[in-house]
Amino acid sequence: MSMMSTMRTPSAPRPRASRASGSAALPVGVLVAVLLPLILMPIAAVFVFAFRGGLKDFVSALTAEDAQFALRFSLLIAFLTATVNAVLGTFAAYVLAKYRFPGKRPLTIAVNLPVAIPTVVVGTSLLLLWGPIGLLGKVLAPLGISPMFALTGVLLAHLFVTFPYMLGAVKPLLDELEVTYEEAAYTLGAGKWQTFRYVILPALRGGLFSGTLLTFAHSLGEFGATVMVSGNLRLRTQTAPLYIFAQFEAGNVAQANAVAAVLAVLSFAIFFFLFRWSGQAGNGGQGR
Amino acid sequence: MSIVLDRLVKRFDGQSVVSRVSLEIEDGELFVLLGASGSGKSTVLRLIAGLATPDEGRIHLRGRDVTDLTPQERGIGFVFQNYSIFRHMSVAANIEFPLKIRKVPADERVRRREQLLDQVGLGGLGGRYGHQLSGGQQQRVALARALAHEPNVLLLDEPFGALDVKIRGQLRRTLREIQRTLKVTAILVTHDQEEAFELADRVGLMDRGALLEVGEPERLYQRPRSLFVATFLGAGTVLVGRARGGQAHLGDLALPIPPEVEHEENARVRVLIRPEQVALSAEPPAPGSGAKVLGEGTVLERSFLGALRRLRVRLPPIAGTRQAAPDRFGEEGLLVDVVLPAEEEPPGPEVWVGLRGWHILAPPRPRLLVCSLAAVPLPPALPRLVEAIDGVPTLLAVSADEEEAEALRAALREHAREDGDHSLGIFDGAELLVRRGDPLAEIAAEQAQSVYDFVVLAGGAGPVFDGLLDRLSTPLLVLRGDWRPTTPRFLICTAVGEPGKSDVRVGGWLARRLGAEVTLLHVALGGLGAAGGRDPQPWVQTHLDRGVATLRALEVTSQGKIRHARTPAEGILAEAAEGGYDLIVMGRHGPRHGPLFRPKAADITLRILAGIQTSVLIVPAEE
Repeated sequence: MSMMSTMRTPSAPRPRASRASGSAALPVGVLVAVLLPLILMPIAAVFVFAFRGGLKDFVSALTAEDAQFALRFSLLIAFLTATVNAVLGTFAAYVLAKYRFPGKRPLTIAVNLPVAIPTVVVGTSLLLLWGPIGLLGKVLAPLGISPMFALTGVLLAHLFVTFPYMLGAVKPLLDELEVTYEEAAYTLGAGKWQTFRYVILPALRGGLFSGTLLTFAHSLGEFGATVMVSGNLRLRTQTAPLYIFAQFEAGNVAQANAVAAVLAVLSFAIFFFLFRWSGQAGNGGQGR
Repeated sequence: MSIVLDRLVKRFDGQSVVSRVSLEIEDGELFVLLGASGSGKSTVLRLIAGLATPDEGRIHLRGRDVTDLTPQERGIGFVFQNYSIFRHMSVAANIEFPLKIRKVPADERVRRREQLLDQVGLGGLGGRYGHQLSGGQQQRVALARALAHEPNVLLLDEPFGALDVKIRGQLRRTLREIQRTLKVTAILVTHDQEEAFELADRVGLMDRGALLEVGEPERLYQRPRSLFVATFLGAGTVLVGRARGGQAHLGDLALPIPPEVEHEENARVRVLIRPEQVALSAEPPAPGSGAKVLGEGTVLERSFLGALRRLRVRLPPIAGTRQAAPDRFGEEGLLVDVVLPAEEEPPGPEVWVGLRGWHILAPPRPRLLVCSLAAVPLPPALPRLVEAIDGVPTLLAVSADEEEAEALRAALREHAREDGDHSLGIFDGAELLVRRGDPLAEIAAEQAQSVYDFVVLAGGAGPVFDGLLDRLSTPLLVLRGDWRPTTPRFLICTAVGEPGKSDVRVGGWLARRLGAEVTLLHVALGGLGAAGGRDPQPWVQTHLDRGVATLRALEVTSQGKIRHARTPAEGILAEAAEGGYDLIVMGRHGPRHGPLFRPKAADITLRILAGIQTSVLIVPAEE
């Protein structure tokens, strides 16, 4: 009853804060109790196990040549993936939002499909396509080009798997943008490129930012497709998640956990940014 | 001349949304394009802006042909209904945007921006963003932004449509002020008649893609030409009477028709009475006072509007008078709309309705349904006909399959284009209908829309005539060949009492428009062989004399002629063969009653259509 009245009082200084007051203790308690084993404890466990042997062990585990390579390689792949998909995804969103053409619906479904396909399946099909005996790989092999089990292969897998994130972040913004927005720019004298650069692109900023970060984060953690196409070659194609898995299988839990902790911290940082950003956008501060 | 539109045509999916719009707008004028949604007014604006490209016609801005230029090159300002303020830019950045694009130095940009912000009444709000402003404020920003680069022409597409009434009024005043100060030529599109009248130097009214009438608001309101314009611009009563002796007759009431108003003697004439031109009184005015009294009626509805009082009075039906407006579904009497100043009360529930003023509408332009059948080219007689009667043609083509339909469509366009270049331009922008299916059924269905005054058929398609004749409700003109260059000759075949006088009337009307001479023919049966050249009955001569008199009233020269023959068809065919006529006019009854009762071979109309090569006009008998 008190909750209702505070919510309705227009002078209530913080209606959002007041919602958690009063009889909230029980539902919050239940929620935390459920989430503890599901989410909160696993998060904590990463750090607990990483530092079990003390800071010194943690540092030496991280500075191992394999671990260093795996982390750098992962960051490089994530960076490349995010860059390529930022451009490609925005372009795809623009084309799909702006133009009408036959086959638009199937194409829209196709470009969104990668989130729904199991990543291992993606890996296999990439191998069947680009591998040494694959459909395209067969043609490329005599030319000395073999994308699989190399950086190119990993990048191809990541581009595929993360493609929909950029599209999903940018297309709704474009759909929402009225046609007259562009037309207004034209009548004011701006050419097509100027209109895109100064009018459309800035209006997409929020989506570009969150889409890029999401792509980066997913690429950093990608496992299923990567393990298939990379061949898991240490110091050549081993990404951080693959390294963690390999070390764990070999029984080097501390090594695995050290890298896992770094990945976790990176993810936290990225999501912290995303939350801050969307919080700002939600408060009406669309841009400064 | 700031803006010149020359016969603009825009089609979407083969349908014209803008048909042959021509318009000239003076420097510094504020022109308002008014029309219902879907009338094509916004498309005209987008064509001027370059946001859409016309299928035909040219656009000149300040003497420069801009038809093929991009919007960027046209030097225009455009204000959209939804403001379209760039939301990631501040108000200041929005207004500076067109200047930045043009690389205007920063200090000049700031000076111009501050000046514009001041003019639109937003001084000091340059740092705000779109979402921090009200709708009215956003539209003020949009206006300032559209004017920043000092465009030649300002185009506004329903700029106040999304705002509430009070804000709308304020913005109208601001717009008028700025437009006057800057002396910028402007076109504003709206569906709001009040807004149009308040703002416009001149108003152009659009309907279904056509620009119907252009004029100053007062002229358009008081002296519209067409029924559509009369009823679109404000309330009013339109009664249809008959013109006789230079007066419009509504029952016993005769209203003088001003000499400058074109009208046809003895034809229907439409009288517009605005609500404020009606005078109500409790008693009938004294005879001889010269007051124009329509009759006595009862007050049906009344409402209070603040400054005014609106009434609707119902009058009993008046002989020979029809109502065209207001709509009176399920009503037998005549409805007259009245407006009184609020301080005046109607004299009682029963009132005498007098007229203080009235206006005669121009006769409507006849509409032609021109049917083109696959292989038959349009006859050369058609353009002259359309021009002579100032008709509005609709081209209907019917074909069996889609491929043929596409070919027909192209051919019709080609007809239209050729004609536009070499001759009169009458089909330029004419409506094109291409249908698939049975020609007869499609023509009959289209004719049944009863918006047409004539159905025109290119000659040579027997079975179509046959079926169409039975369903005829509109005069059918079978066109073949061409008219002779001067004074065409018409033969009107008439019979006493039947099929009525409509053939003389319609034939005469056409003869007057084409400047034709008429021969009125009566075929006396019995023939030479049987009774040896019997004199026709005296009433036949009387009938012919009456016909000649009717035609004289239509200012058509004619002569009566009696011919002996065994059957009417024979007589007509013989006369047609001798006389060298351009057109044979015949009356026509309703459907034949079964093949047994009246065999096809005996059908006069069909026999004549088959027997001669000249054009034939078949006029259905009046109901």
